[in-house]
Amino acid sequence: MALFSRAARAQRRPRASWTRAALAAGVAVVAVTVAACGNGGSSSAASSGGKDGFNEATQASGPLTVWVDSTRVPAAQAYEKAHPNVKLNVVTYDGDANGSNTLQTKVDLYDRTGNGWPDVVFSAESNEVSWTQPAGFTAPLNKGLIPSSVLSQFSAGSLAPCTVNGTVYCLRNDLAPAMLWYNAPLMKQWGYQVPTTWAQYQQIGEAVAKQHPGYIVGAAGDTFAPEIYMWASQCQANDVTGIRAVTVNVTTSNCSRMASMLDTLLADKSMSKLSAFSSAFDKQEKGKVLMMPAPVWFAGSVFDSSSGLNTPKDQIAAAPMPQWPGTTTPTTGNVGGGLWLLSAHSTHVSEAVNFIEWVTTNSAYQGDLAPGLPAYGPAASVWLANQQKAGYFANDIVPVVQQAAGQIWQGWGYGKFSQEAIWAATVTPGITAGKAIVSMLPAWQTAITNYATAAGYQVSH
Amino acid sequence: MRTDIHLPAADGAAALPRHGSRRAPSPSRLTGQLLGGLLLLVFVVFFVLPVLWLMLAATKTDAQLVGDNPLSFGSWHQLRVNWDALTGFQGNVILLWLRNSAVYAFLALAITLAVSIPAGYAMAMMEFRGRRALLVITLVVMLMPATTLVVPLFLELNEVHLIGSLWSVVLPFSFYPFGVYLTYIYFSTALPRDLLAAARIDGCTEFGAFRRVALPLAAPIIALVGFFSFVANWTNYFLPYVMLPQSGQYPVQVGIGLLLTDVPQFNPTAGAGTVLRPELALATLLGITPVLLVFLFAQRYLVSGLLAGATKE
Amino acid sequence: MSVTSSEPARARARRAPWRAVGAGYVFVAGYVILLAAFGVVPVVYAVYFAFTNADNYFAGLSNFVQSGQDFRYLPALEHIGIYLAIWLVALVVLVTVLALVLHQVSARRLGALVRFLYYIPGALAGAASVLVWLFMLDPTVSPASSLLHLLGYGTFGNVIAPGHLSLLFAIIAFWTGAGGWIVVMYGALNNIPRDVMEAARIDGAGAWRTARYIQVPMLRKWIVYMAILAFATGAQLFVEPQLVSEASLGVAGRDYSPNQLAYDFAFQNNNVNYAAAISVELLVVCLIVAAVFVTRSRFFDAN
Repeated sequence: MALFSRAARAQRRPRASWTRAALAAGVAVVAVTVAACGNGGSSSAASSGGKDGFNEATQASGPLTVWVDSTRVPAAQAYEKAHPNVKLNVVTYDGDANGSNTLQTKVDLYDRTGNGWPDVVFSAESNEVSWTQPAGFTAPLNKGLIPSSVLSQFSAGSLAPCTVNGTVYCLRNDLAPAMLWYNAPLMKQWGYQVPTTWAQYQQIGEAVAKQHPGYIVGAAGDTFAPEIYMWASQCQANDVTGIRAVTVNVTTSNCSRMASMLDTLLADKSMSKLSAFSSAFDKQEKGKVLMMPAPVWFAGSVFDSSSGLNTPKDQIAAAPMPQWPGTTTPTTGNVGGGLWLLSAHSTHVSEAVNFIEWVTTNSAYQGDLAPGLPAYGPAASVWLANQQKAGYFANDIVPVVQQAAGQIWQGWGYGKFSQEAIWAATVTPGITAGKAIVSMLPAWQTAITNYATAAGYQVSH
Repeated sequence: MRTDIHLPAADGAAALPRHGSRRAPSPSRLTGQLLGGLLLLVFVVFFVLPVLWLMLAATKTDAQLVGDNPLSFGSWHQLRVNWDALTGFQGNVILLWLRNSAVYAFLALAITLAVSIPAGYAMAMMEFRGRRALLVITLVVMLMPATTLVVPLFLELNEVHLIGSLWSVVLPFSFYPFGVYLTYIYFSTALPRDLLAAARIDGCTEFGAFRRVALPLAAPIIALVGFFSFVANWTNYFLPYVMLPQSGQYPVQVGIGLLLTDVPQFNPTAGAGTVLRPELALATLLGITPVLLVFLFAQRYLVSGLLAGATKE
Repeated sequence: MSVTSSEPARARARRAPWRAVGAGYVFVAGYVILLAAFGVVPVVYAVYFAFTNADNYFAGLSNFVQSGQDFRYLPALEHIGIYLAIWLVALVVLVTVLALVLHQVSARRLGALVRFLYYIPGALAGAASVLVWLFMLDPTVSPASSLLHLLGYGTFGNVIAPGHLSLLFAIIAFWTGAGGWIVVMYGALNNIPRDVMEAARIDGAGAWRTARYIQVPMLRKWIVYMAILAFATGAQLFVEPQLVSEASLGVAGRDYSPNQLAYDFAFQNNNVNYAAAISVELLVVCLIVAAVFVTRSRFFDAN
């Protein structure tokens, strides 16, 4: 079982040298080298028990090794500025973004040699805990290291990717709820009401296709399209029910209703087939975006960006995500959000805890410097106030974003396999070729099942 | 190479064209030359167009990169702006990465040459037990996909406490079987045994023969192996990525990979957009310039024949 | 080129080998150490991984069987087969032709310039060329957009459609790799003794006949070496699909080749055993092909 072998691997020490020598008969070098291999480091496993819920390694003094991506370097610098007595060893890495698997590659190697783990890691990959927890890499945080008074102030559900069986294994850096961005003056000029249901949204899309061709109400070509649309529609594509169990059921009405809406608008050409980050989109859709269901960070990355659409100020406004009829609690999707992990092998646990707590909760960084919506409630308020004060938006986005942050549907989990990658490889080529998403739902289901199974999951339907 | 030796055709047949004679070349030769020239030109465009684009991209803003003609020139001012932004990224770290690349590549190159040239020479020109086995083992090792070699390599280097030092990268780089094979082929096809036999007759030891006969004639192969080794080391991404724990140790290839994750078009959900694509283009150009400079420098030696002036008629 | 000597040939030959043997070992010593440390040991270890399971018990062929049952395995084999067919032919034929044509260029500076221009893409490996290909393949911003539009592709998505990938990767691999081989072949052509070329000219052989009957046969070892390595690098295709995958954010080229699958096994699933099984399979195929080439061309014979 993948779970068992992963835990075993974290503590694996030398294989029996006689087995190796037998196999490598005649290659004396191999026997000598390998027999001496991999027996270093203190042993610490993520088993329960022990102070604070895990077995701490022997603590030592020395600099705190922190791995961050380039975007989070200011966080480490801000911490250093606020704590001049603390020595940090800041290592910049790719943040595990885009499926690079850097963290897992390195942690696996360190597990084999028994040393080299960093103390604190930032990861842009929100499903990190799905493998770090079984591997014994992350330390539990809610068993004594971080007080519940702090943990309870994180936005509702923001710690879901960090939580396994009630134990919190990481702190969420930022949230990325999806909402409906729209061009306020244009909507007013053409007399459209901001939609509150998907039916109204579709109507506007069809109207735009006839009356104002060339304008779009959304984009479906991004790899995170399922996280905006399918997640919001409560599609059961990623219902992670256990550390290695997932339920996948995408041919149900929750999924097909959204798929057919997308198909209609794609056929009308009021929904773009392109990715919002492609050059073609920048060229063709500049000034042509009427509405855009998208995460909160689209404002900075796409609209208010010289390398994006470069939309002038006082045009872009935010509204809550439209809903399907009969949905009792409104839901939306989420696209991204980084995590801060504390290594269970760390020899500087208390400094690491201080760092991790400060960097996720302190408004000096999260409120004032962070590029994304903080997951920590109080810091989020500061951040939102700063965003609104900059005067770019056409309406008050603060209540909209706060509302969206609380509406992220909990039925879409964080598995070890990447839903974005699966959608990109399976559905996006079809969209480009003009196929209907509804027709691709069975293929999508098969692909998710295949990848989940390959990742060691038990898939039910 | 002069081709205009005016000699009568052996059998006097007038049908065969004379090469480069003072008469105008025959139509078929002219079309042959034109076709050849056209072929070369088409491939020049194929190889160079993307690089030309890259050079021009470094002079534009991101909006110009997308909106303007792909082969338009931006401005020198924008090039300066891009340079400042690139060096501003984490405090001139791009220059540190370039320095690291140079150190790793040159150190490994020195060791490779010291080790591979004698080895290839010996396998080509000497008979000793295990010669063929060595050739076979080298070929087998060369053909093994590198993916699974990383884990054992990491464990090995960790055993001798080299993980984290530059030797964890330089030593594996120095192992360059491709270079040994190049040397082997070169000496076995180009160096006649007579020359060595002559040297032995004259009383040289094997080392003497190598030093006095083979080495002076080996400038092309030294340049060839040195050049390819340098390029392989310079462009290697995966080994340094796995072995080096500190970002200050990265070579420029890994550094560019890091820059890539900060470009929103390559990393929408996490990139903060602090690196724009023209800056990435500039970084790429910086990353390839040393390789091209080394090529220009070594080209003279790379292609000259081994026996130029060496044989006595 | 005769060497006069007073000693009979046999006596000369008898004296040489003694010193040659000892000296031979010294000459290869440094290389053998590196070969053992960074070649043999990792390879043996990798083979060990291929035949054991995660708990280090002997696993027979189960790694091979189970990795072969992965849903990505057979498609990867299919992809690599098509890719190899295109790639091998393109590289061996085009490099040889281009080297021969280039060799005809009598103006030395021009020849050197063209060789340099052909080589430049070789400096752009891996991560460095992601940006380049993102733009080259997007008809809305590519310098080659007229060509792409002519072929009927309007968007980046059209260009990287699944059916085009083999050809696309072959083109990218050729773009990066051909320049270096052209330089090698050109140098090899320069090693053909001038008197042989002169004799051919005197006999009236044109460029084509000289190439076919003189130059190509004398390039035999180099062409074989290039073919072996082309097969190996082709079978181990990794960089090109990986960079297209990065450029397209995963839309194309993700689990395209067996080597990528091995990489996923090793570093995504922490399953070094499956990865090693696939690597061993690739190695065996490459060795068989290399053996065929080597024996048929007497590659290992000393001069």
